[in-house]
Amino acid sequence: MTEVALLLAIASLGYGISRWSGIPAIPLLLGLGMLLSFSGLVKHADLLTKGSFGDDPVIFVLELGLTVLVFASGIELNPQRFRRQRRPVVWVGLIQFAVMGLVGYFAARALGFSGMEPVYLAFAVSASSTVVVLRQLQVSQQSFEPQGRMVIGVLLLQDGLTIATLIALTHFSDGIGWLAAGYGWAIVMALAAWYLQRRLARWLIERSEGDEELMLLTILTILFLFLGAAHLADLPVVVGAFLAGYSLSSFPVSGLVNGLILSLTDFFRAIFFVALGALVVIPGASEVSSALGLAVLVILITPPLVAAVAEWTGLTSRAAIESGLLLAQTSEYSLILGLIGMQLGHLSGGTFAVIAMMAVATMTCTPLLSGDGVARFLLRLHPLRRRRRQPALDLENHVLVLGLGSGGMWVLRPLLSAGVPLLVVDDDPVVIAELDLKGVPCIRGDGSDEHVLERAGADKAQLIIASMRRLSDSSKVMSLVRGVPVFVRVFEDGDAEAVREMGGTPISNSEAAVDQFQKWFEGRFPRRAG
Amino acid sequence: MLEVTFIEDLGLIIVAATLFAFLARRIGMPSIVAYLIAGLALGPLTGLVEMSGSLALISEIGIALLLFLVGLELSFAKIKDVGRVAVIAGIGQVFFTAVGGLVLCGLLGFGVMEAVFLAVGLTFSSTVVVVKLLDEKGELDSLYGRIAVGIFLVQDIVAIFILTFLAGLGGAGSAEVKLDLATVLGGLGSAFGGMILLLLVALLSARYLLPRPFAWSANRSEVLLIWSISWCFALVMGAHALHLSLEIGAFLAGISLAQLPYNEDLHRRVHPLMNFCIAVFFVSLGIKMEIGEALAEWQTVLVLSLFVLIGNPVIFVWIIARMGYGLRTTFFTSVTVAQISEFSFIVVALGVSSGLVGESVMSLTALVGLVTITVSAYMIRFNRPLYEWVLRWNLLRPFVPKAVLARGDGPEDEDPGAQQLEGHIIVVGMNSLGRRIAQSMSEAGHEVVAVDTDPRKLEGLSCRTELGNVSYRAVLDHLCLHRARLLVSALKIDSTNDMLAYRAREAGVPCAVHVHDIREMDHLIDLGTDYLMISKVDGLKRLNTKLKELASLPTARND
Repeated sequence: MTEVALLLAIASLGYGISRWSGIPAIPLLLGLGMLLSFSGLVKHADLLTKGSFGDDPVIFVLELGLTVLVFASGIELNPQRFRRQRRPVVWVGLIQFAVMGLVGYFAARALGFSGMEPVYLAFAVSASSTVVVLRQLQVSQQSFEPQGRMVIGVLLLQDGLTIATLIALTHFSDGIGWLAAGYGWAIVMALAAWYLQRRLARWLIERSEGDEELMLLTILTILFLFLGAAHLADLPVVVGAFLAGYSLSSFPVSGLVNGLILSLTDFFRAIFFVALGALVVIPGASEVSSALGLAVLVILITPPLVAAVAEWTGLTSRAAIESGLLLAQTSEYSLILGLIGMQLGHLSGGTFAVIAMMAVATMTCTPLLSGDGVARFLLRLHPLRRRRRQPALDLENHVLVLGLGSGGMWVLRPLLSAGVPLLVVDDDPVVIAELDLKGVPCIRGDGSDEHVLERAGADKAQLIIASMRRLSDSSKVMSLVRGVPVFVRVFEDGDAEAVREMGGTPISNSEAAVDQFQKWFEGRFPRRAG
Repeated sequence: MLEVTFIEDLGLIIVAATLFAFLARRIGMPSIVAYLIAGLALGPLTGLVEMSGSLALISEIGIALLLFLVGLELSFAKIKDVGRVAVIAGIGQVFFTAVGGLVLCGLLGFGVMEAVFLAVGLTFSSTVVVVKLLDEKGELDSLYGRIAVGIFLVQDIVAIFILTFLAGLGGAGSAEVKLDLATVLGGLGSAFGGMILLLLVALLSARYLLPRPFAWSANRSEVLLIWSISWCFALVMGAHALHLSLEIGAFLAGISLAQLPYNEDLHRRVHPLMNFCIAVFFVSLGIKMEIGEALAEWQTVLVLSLFVLIGNPVIFVWIIARMGYGLRTTFFTSVTVAQISEFSFIVVALGVSSGLVGESVMSLTALVGLVTITVSAYMIRFNRPLYEWVLRWNLLRPFVPKAVLARGDGPEDEDPGAQQLEGHIIVVGMNSLGRRIAQSMSEAGHEVVAVDTDPRKLEGLSCRTELGNVSYRAVLDHLCLHRARLLVSALKIDSTNDMLAYRAREAGVPCAVHVHDIREMDHLIDLGTDYLMISKVDGLKRLNTKLKELASLPTARND
């Protein structure tokens, strides 16, 4: 109990620093765990290499925490959620995983790592952190934007790839027969999980609906049955945990399950990463420099690679760059792989320390990298930008619509039918294609980009309508274009006030929606006379 | 691969608990009885699972969280309400039951030491069992629930004193018993001082230490959860250091956080974690029960069990009825004490390890524990029909003053859970859309409950507010969704909106849901959402109107 209380106290400190600084919690938890290990307060660094754990509470936290966390990420893996972004998800996910994996492998070899160690380091370079990126998307309220969905899809695809590779790693030394058998069993289990997801899970969960305790036990039973199957098939237990999660990923099961395991996940995530940090041995100078070198590789190569592929699959330059910056960190799965690698004897404690330090460094950088300013700066360095720069269109006294999105035809229709000259700027290729088909004048680009505004003749327009996702983009337009009335669509009252202060006219979506809601409400629930 | 033994054991426990819980549900058996039976099946019957340190750790975490949750529901005012009755009834019952138990064990032919340990074992009721059952019934916050919890905590303190006393007893056998008075007095003094110290820490923290940091982190739900659990464990460790029970530490931690405005939300968040750990605790309890030898002495077990099942409640009825409480509260409170506790096993184990009593006493205590916990679980679960039955046969008459009998159920005896919301509008998500809807509906005279995870977003609203994450089913249950007139979600989180639409459909309540991404609205339509608030389209319509109003622009035709 003392060890769990200590882990919790350190996790509390980590969360407090995270809340104060805006740095994601995981690298802080990991870093504080490492400090705990270096301070000598806990002596767990050699536990994994001893071969026998006994009943150590820290190992209990690692075992259960690992299982719960992998299970929770499996629950998010409903392919239906990413059906609209399938192409970018698959291409970005696979190319980042493969190319960065190769880069990581050869870099590790060049740094003097040998045996299986470069393979584990390659994973640390190739896959990004689901937990950190989800948090970042949540902070920037982009989780449900198309770009956010694409990034989440990429992360979950990479999690799945990591799990699949784990099977190869555990059976690597047993020969091709064992490897084939391992994958054979994994496929059988995956089919069972798929069947459960499609047919049985909802029925099972609804049997216990109304009894929170029984439903939780049912969920955990599914988890432990998959763990048992993985154990019997000589597969890593995390494979079972991941597939168990996947079996519960359909709607509404995933929602029902999440509502019950959220606190378990939060609890184990907090103490798991501290416990994991506590396993790290004090690194030597060469390990510190290797970790820094590999971290720099992740930060320097991932963004342009992801941006190039994402742009190729249809994202705008800015969205692609932002996606690349968001994905530039080491995954928590690399730590899990490292943990398993240490137990399999593939990794030394020092190399695990390298992975842990990489994770701390890259995850800590994520909020700094994913700020608006970095993306704008990189956008200026875009190699195709100069070539793309096109002359200004011959437009005057027109209505310039910046950002149309879905449903924007509502506003265009009356303008078009009245013969008002207009131009639409949108970064979504699908929207631009649709407008082209309808013969609406449009250009694809970032509505807050000064070159795009220049090309669109913003300073000669009679009115600008800004419907872009970020208020900062609309603010930039208002600061760049003077003397032209700007209507800005906003949702929050605070944003409306900010627009007013900058001289624009806010059009409040929420206010409009309330009016419509009230009309519906009065029709649906008419007041009785008297 | 990580070592799987522990995961295997835990897996067997969970699977067995689920199977038995499903069966139990079909026949109306309380879940803790199902867990105990699952434990017996895995332990004494088949030997499939042996207790390990990790399982014991989960059990301890479960107990700590259970008592933490109890504390979370109690404000200082509520504690003050029941403080007097808890102290008098708690101490009174310990005295009478211990004396009665001693006499009974003497009559049954036990030696002095065996009688002493058995009598002490029969005296204490199980806080964990009762709190779990009251929690299942949703009656922890009822008057009788609060009195019962107060009594159990008083018993816990008395138990610590007794344990300190027994630890001071030494000797290789009953013939050579000696009392180390200095140790006993020192122990009692340190327990008493420790209790006062911990109580002061909890009270002062609630007032000066906790409110500001918790308010600062309130919009990060995971921070709030981890800080709260850490606070719970910090006081548990404090209690441990002061030689108090972990239950007391956890309970005081809960009380100190109960004074903050996030207590209900925290309660709902911690609840699933507690459920998991406490299920493991009860199955583990079954696994540890060594009842083989005691089966041969079933007559003795029967007599001792009847003493606990009937004698303990009768003693309580006698005490509480004389403290001004009505019949129903008296009866419901008294029924909760009809079982022995895990503390009984600790006491007897102490006697066995010090050589003061034989192994057979341990086995006897385990079987009495099994019988009384099982039967009392039914008694608590079905306390209403039991009360009606007892009234019909006038069974309380000999133990209750005539004035109480004549008064019957007092005003404080109202059935808990009667104050329910009905015909209200639940508005989820206090962004600008949600706030406007909540305000306008409230101003129009509707009963509105506004819900959000961030307490700051709930500030300044004129309607009733509720802090909570609607992903937890308990939040919607608490808001009586099934009785609501309408559920409105202004959230921008598609997955949560989908779940809310699903929940509303299941509850048969109309719902209006905000559509953040127009491409995702098909799913909401499939879920039967009554009204889709497509704020982007509504905004565009408004923009359109605005454009028409502009004199410089040509007038647009109606679309």
